[in-house]
Amino acid sequence: MATRRRMLLKVIILGDSGVGKTSLMNQYVNRKFSNQYKATIGADFLTKEVQFEDRLFTLQIWDTAGQERFQSLGVAFYRGADCCVLVYDVNVMKSFENLNNWREEFLIQASPSDPENFPFVVLGNKVDVDGGNSRVVSEKKAKAWCASKGNIPYFETSAKEGFNVDAAFECIAKNALKNEPEEEIYLPDTIDVAGGGRQQRSTGCEC
Amino acid sequence: MHETDIHDLSDDADYAASQQQGSASIMRSDSGRQSSSSEPDGAEVVYSKDNVTIHPSQLASERISGRLKLIKQGSALFMTWIPYKGQGSNARLSEKDKNLYTIRAVPLTEVRSVRRHTPAFGWQYIIVVLSSGLAFPPLYFYNGGVKEFLATIKQHVFIVRSAEDANVFLINDFQNPLQRTLSSLELPRAVSVVSDQSVSIDVGESPLDESQESSSRNVRDGRLSTLQYNGRTRLKPQDPARDLSIHVLEKFSLVTKFARETTSQIFGETHNNGFGAIEKRRYNHQSSIDHPEKASNSAEKAPELVPVAADPLEFDEAALIWGKPRQPPLGPEEWVSFLDSEGRVTDSKALRKRIFYGGVEHILRKEVWAFLLGYHAYDSTYAEREYFSVLKKSEYETIKNQWQSISPEQAKRFTKFRERKGLIDKDVVRTDRSLPFYDGDDNPNVNILRDILLTYSFYNFDLGYCQGMSDLLSPILFVMGNEADSFWCFVSLMERLGPNFNRDQNGMHTQLFAISKLVELLDSPLHNYFKQQECLNYFFCFRWVLIQFKREFEYEKTMRLWEVLWTHYMSEHLHLYICVAILKRYRNKIMGEQMDFDTLLKFINELSGQIELDAVIRDAEALCICAGENGAASIPPGTPPSLPIDNGLLLYSQQDDEVL
Ligand SMILES: Nc1nc2c(ncn2[C@@H]2O[C@H](COP(=O)(O)OP(=O)(O)OP(=O)(O)O)[C@@H](O)[C@H]2O)c(=O)[nH]1
Ligand SMILES: [Mg+2]
Repeated sequence: MATRRRMLLKVIILGDSGVGKTSLMNQYVNRKFSNQYKATIGADFLTKEVQFEDRLFTLQIWDTAGQERFQSLGVAFYRGADCCVLVYDVNVMKSFENLNNWREEFLIQASPSDPENFPFVVLGNKVDVDGGNSRVVSEKKAKAWCASKGNIPYFETSAKEGFNVDAAFECIAKNALKNEPEEEIYLPDTIDVAGGGRQQRSTGCEC
Repeated sequence: MHETDIHDLSDDADYAASQQQGSASIMRSDSGRQSSSSEPDGAEVVYSKDNVTIHPSQLASERISGRLKLIKQGSALFMTWIPYKGQGSNARLSEKDKNLYTIRAVPLTEVRSVRRHTPAFGWQYIIVVLSSGLAFPPLYFYNGGVKEFLATIKQHVFIVRSAEDANVFLINDFQNPLQRTLSSLELPRAVSVVSDQSVSIDVGESPLDESQESSSRNVRDGRLSTLQYNGRTRLKPQDPARDLSIHVLEKFSLVTKFARETTSQIFGETHNNGFGAIEKRRYNHQSSIDHPEKASNSAEKAPELVPVAADPLEFDEAALIWGKPRQPPLGPEEWVSFLDSEGRVTDSKALRKRIFYGGVEHILRKEVWAFLLGYHAYDSTYAEREYFSVLKKSEYETIKNQWQSISPEQAKRFTKFRERKGLIDKDVVRTDRSLPFYDGDDNPNVNILRDILLTYSFYNFDLGYCQGMSDLLSPILFVMGNEADSFWCFVSLMERLGPNFNRDQNGMHTQLFAISKLVELLDSPLHNYFKQQECLNYFFCFRWVLIQFKREFEYEKTMRLWEVLWTHYMSEHLHLYICVAILKRYRNKIMGEQMDFDTLLKFINELSGQIELDAVIRDAEALCICAGENGAASIPPGTPPSLPIDNGLLLYSQQDDEVL
């Protein structure tokens, strides 16, 4: 019986309310953008199969509410994350300034084993707005901050136009994978397929 | 022939033996008074048993005894149970109650199954489940006779034993008994039985004395009563509470627990004993399962029923509750009957009860919601309300002006205001935009939504704006239409739900905690499952609770649910029982598929739009009744939506941990 390696990579998207977390996730997974997404209440996730070299992975992308008040929920969702995506709106200064809080909050709540080297990726979203005329955070400024935090990869995106979204998530997946210890779970194909929504988390994430 | 009945704690050998005895012995086995009386129109009583009793509550003392009969007319078989007249064991049980429970000529074609319960000690009882998924309350056979009852049915109707449970007898299961059996595992679709006849019979009309006549009458109308069982249209809206429907929550453990408690109270068992008895019984069944059915009329169709070990998840099966059917919504004509000439609601409790069972027609919502939410007082007159609204409108304008008068210059130095406004702006354009009322660019209603929320964040500056509020306001504005009235109704709602949005989230945490306590009480296997999966934080219910199921139902259904919740009729915390009811509907799936935290969260999120509202409201009502005081005790004092305990005192702890 053929077995294929499949591993679950857990990614958390954080950032202020309204920066476009839900839109980015949907653009990446479903290739669509809608003006009618609702503000996220609680948390949800989408999964996407990604192939990398000759291996197949399930990317589990978690989208949480952006309002700070809901952060106490985070603990339950951050646990076992392999990569954290920090999103801000290039047109809203405050959302950029808050990246630091989000990052620290995540490190506290998720308490990864090696916080220094935990993979983050930063996305500056909504670059499409007003042809870029309303942006208040320059690419340079954003990159400088990323560099200061241990060379966090940085992407400018538009969830609305689908700009740079795939590239960003490819990088996210790679970084998540880097965080995975070598051990993996080998699953018979059949079970995996039949299981439908059931996911199997690699043992490495449970810590 | 009471001796025969004593042996009624029969195992399957007895049952099998009784199969062969034929009808003669069955007639004989009755108390003899009228074993086989001829009925008019060729109806014939083929089985009659006295002292068959219903316990309408958990009190052993509350019981209604009556006579159970099987009546044959032509090829059709009917079941009736008529309570005795004027022989109430308890003063609290009125004739009306008796009428409610009366079973009038149910054709056996309407019956899906009969479940026999044979407690180790105590009286046997049966639960008759209709094909609609409903069931009658347990019928206790004080004089025995279960065996004969089943045997008689067997003579007239196709009946097979369920493969899953040797005590379940499936009736009319022609197609594929196994299939049918499997489908019975599915979660019950709660459909209501509305016994129109029960309602229409006057209190004074005697049950048993005229039972011969009335049952034969019903037999004649057999076809009609079938229709009545399915049709809800004939319901009398004025009598919401008088109809009895018995609602099956099959596989709901609590009902077994309920039945167990009933039984144990009746027989003075301790709970432990009761439990042990049930367990023991189960093992008995398993050991006795390998008596195959003999003497089957249609050997071809009655398959060898393979003994299937009971699924541990199904351990607490045979659930049954009686709850009330949902009513049509309160309409204009009926509404005026609640008002006196000057517009006061004369009996607010009756009104709330009425709305609890049926909701309100949309055109009345604008008027009625103002009462339910507490904006208008029930004892106010039309004139007073009108005046009050005018006063409140100007009060609203004053508060609104506080932020409207902030100049752009001032706003520059007012970060908190700018950010609050920014958040609200972002949320209102993401609120119910697919609804015509809020759709399209520059929709004025979206602006009103924003203005009200911003005004509220000034009215209650400490609480401010929090995501989810726009969801709560949207239907209120949609219903009230008018900005100021909507604002004040929203204020009233937030008096109760404000703690959901507290910075420390304590309002949410107490509610999630209460849900876990209620599940522990009402479904301990599910509780243990969640515990094992580390799901006891119940975060998967977060959205349900925070915005009162707003995202789980379509708009109209949400409004219906809300008005039901706002009656606070059964409990202030009915929404928590709704949570439990939904979880219990899917418990088998959740546990059967071994969902972990992630899968469960996803599953719950995707239930949105899938949940049958009327059914869960009824389940919740039943759960609430079953949980009783223990349920109430599981909910900490002050849990939203209870009004805050120390009114006025620092409701929303103001910490500067957040700008908004
Ligand atoms: N022009 C433009 N608008 C965007 C883009 N991404 C998101 N939006 C809009 O920004 C608003 C917020 O987007 P969401 O994806 O809901 O934001 P979120 O970060 O998930 O917000 P919360 O759920 O409240 O935490 C919506 O009205 C989107 O339509 C983008 O790339 N360009
Ligand atoms: Mg979102």
